[in-house]
This record gives sequence, structure tokens and C-alpha cells, in this order.
Amino acid sequence: MSLKITALVEKARDGNRPSFQDLVTIFQEDIYRLAYYRTFSQMDAEDLTQEVFEQAYRKLNSLNDPQRFRAWLYSIAVNRCNDFLRKRKYMALLQMRTAQEQDFMATGKDMNNSYNDKIEKKRFWKQVKTMLHKLSSMERQVFTLRFMDHRNINEIASILDKNESTIKTHLYRALNKVRGEADFFKEYRESLS
Amino acid sequence: MKVENHTHLQDEQILWAVIDESDLARHAQEHLRGCPVCKRKVEQFRYELRDFGQKASLAVPPFSRPVRLPREKPAAGSHNVGWLPVFGAAAMAAFVVFFYFMGMETVAPTQFASLQNQENLLEDESLMREIAEIVEVPLPADVYAISGDNETGFYEGLYEISGDDGTGFAEDMDEINGDNGTGYDEDFLEFVVPDLQDDFQSEFI
Ligand SMILES: [Zn+2]
Repeated sequence: MSLKITALVEKARDGNRPSFQDLVTIFQEDIYRLAYYRTFSQMDAEDLTQEVFEQAYRKLNSLNDPQRFRAWLYSIAVNRCNDFLRKRKYMALLQMRTAQEQDFMATGKDMNNSYNDKIEKKRFWKQVKTMLHKLSSMERQVFTLRFMDHRNINEIASILDKNESTIKTHLYRALNKVRGEADFFKEYRESLS
Repeated sequence: MKVENHTHLQDEQILWAVIDESDLARHAQEHLRGCPVCKRKVEQFRYELRDFGQKASLAVPPFSRPVRLPREKPAAGSHNVGWLPVFGAAAMAAFVVFFYFMGMETVAPTQFASLQNQENLLEDESLMREIAEIVEVPLPADVYAISGDNETGFYEGLYEISGDDGTGFAEDMDEINGDNGTGYDEDFLEFVVPDLQDDFQSEFI
């Protein structure tokens, strides 16, 4: 992690609010995307991003090594998303409307995109969901962190509090499943035949 | 995973190479370095995974709600929570002192058990008294009035309680019963007051 971020974390830990605000500015969109990849809902992802930074702000003093800030922040985000998904599953059982459904119906928020673009995105996320659905929870977690959140193996191990070989094993299983079933990796598949 | 230098990597080795080339066996690593076919497979999958990640990033709706920090600041050095146990101990001491002065002395478990027994005995006694009363006087007074029973002593008592001299209420009841005070309908009484003798060995009947 860059020295700049480490310095900001140290200052923020000493109670410097503007430094933490800078950290928010640097990481908020990454965390938002992380939340979106797991919830597929803009509304929920934005709520979760807010909650993640609130929690990080409150608990910053518990972070001993400022160099681990990003992994620490991502682990808060991943756990928060997991909690949220568990809750949403429970709510779905009660047949309550989720924000995901509300997002699906809301049209006003994404006015810059053309209709075709929207359809294209919708189709894309449908394929992503279908693909991720075939993975176990851990496979999905490591696949998403590696290829959507762009974290390296070492960081993923730190975020999920597992050793690297475990992460690699789950990643291998995930790749083995997605390469054969998804539309995304056609050329790779063709190169094998 | 062991592969001869002239043999192309197997599919599973390509996957391991995508994840981390250094996890391949030495021979496989050497093969990969010198074989454009295998190298292309690995590069192709990496490229598509990267492309997938970029598409995902572009397909996320724009972030429209920047984070707002809460007003309160995290107290610097508040990870040192040494004051918490002190506060807890003080609260506990205050609690103990309060109850001591309120006269709540500690009760030993055996004493406590005997107190409970005593309480149970008192409850039982009061229950038995209630049962005895019910056995003795199982129904409201007017039922006896209806039945015209004046041999139990209850009827007279009723007048005393109601302040009636025996001319008003009783006459009304007699009219209802069609009874002139010469006796009572035993079938009716049996219907209203079932025989309790079997259950309670009562002296009532
Ligand atoms: Zn080869």
C-alpha cells in the first residue's frame, strides 16, 4: 500500500477527521463496487458503503498496522455484505420487496444511459449472476475478490483470514467451473480445443 | 502435475498457471516459458478474466451518494479501554452497598430453600382453606334461596347479610319456585349442586 495511504491512516487514527475523509474519497467507489458485485443493487450498495465507512471510522483504533488498512477495510465490507445478504435472504422468505427489485423498477436514476445500454448491462449482470450461482460461497468470494475487486492472493488471504493455499484452491475450483459454463471465456475455451 | 518439457500443459495446469505460475512443477514452468501454445492459452484466459473484470466495473451504476462521516470523532487512543473495568467495578460496588443499606441481607442457599418451603406451606394452607369453604358453601346464596333450603343455616345468614327480615326476598323466591316454603326440590338441588361427598368426604350433605 502506498506511503500516502499509510500516512493518512496514521493521522486518522490520531483523530484527524480530514485524513479519514481523504481515505473515504480514495476508497469509497471501490467499496461501492464491491458491495454492488454482491448485492446487484445500487441502493443497497450505497447504503452498505456508508455503513462500511462508518464502522471503519468508529473502529479505526483497533487497526494495529496502518499498512493493512485496505485489507482491513475490505474485510469489513465483505463481512457487512455477507450479513446483509443473509438478512435479505431471510426477508425474501417473508416475501418482502427487496431494494434489488426496487432498483429494477426504478428508471430515473440512470438516465444518462441509453435504453440499449441498459438492456446490455442487465443482460451482463444476469450472466454474471448465473455464473456466480454455480460457485460455492467461498469460491464466489475468492473469484469476486480476485477478478472483480482486483485483489491479489495475498490480500484475499488477509481479507478472508485464510491462508494463501486455501485461497488458491478455491480459486482453482472457481476457474474450473466458470471456464466451461460462462459466456465470458469463449476464446479461451476455443483455444483449448 | 509433472510434465515433460516437450509435452503441452494439461488444462488443470493452465488453470494453476493463471492463478500463480510459481505453483507449477519446475518442468511445467520451464515448458510454459518456452512454449507459445501453452503461453497463449494462459494469456488468453488471463486476458478474458481481466476483460470480464473491466466490463463488470463499467456495468456498475454510477456511485451517486458519497459517504458522509458521522459527526463524532473516534477518540484518539480509545483502544485503551482501561477505564471500562474501573467503571464496572465502581457500579458493582455501588450496587452492593445500595442493597446492603436497603436491608437485603444475603440468604444462604439452605435458608433460602427453607423459606421457600415455608412459603409453599402457607400457599397450600390457604388453598386448602379455600377448598373447604367451597365445599361448605359451593354456590351463591340465591341458589339456596331458589331451592328453598333453610336447614343449612345459610339461608338465615343471608337475610342477616342482606338486612332482609325474611318477608321480601324469600317471598319473591317462593313465587319463582312455586314453592311455599314447605321444602325443596331435591332433583333440582342435585342438578345445581352435584354431590360432593365422593370427592371431598364433606360433612355438608
Ligand atoms: Zn505447450
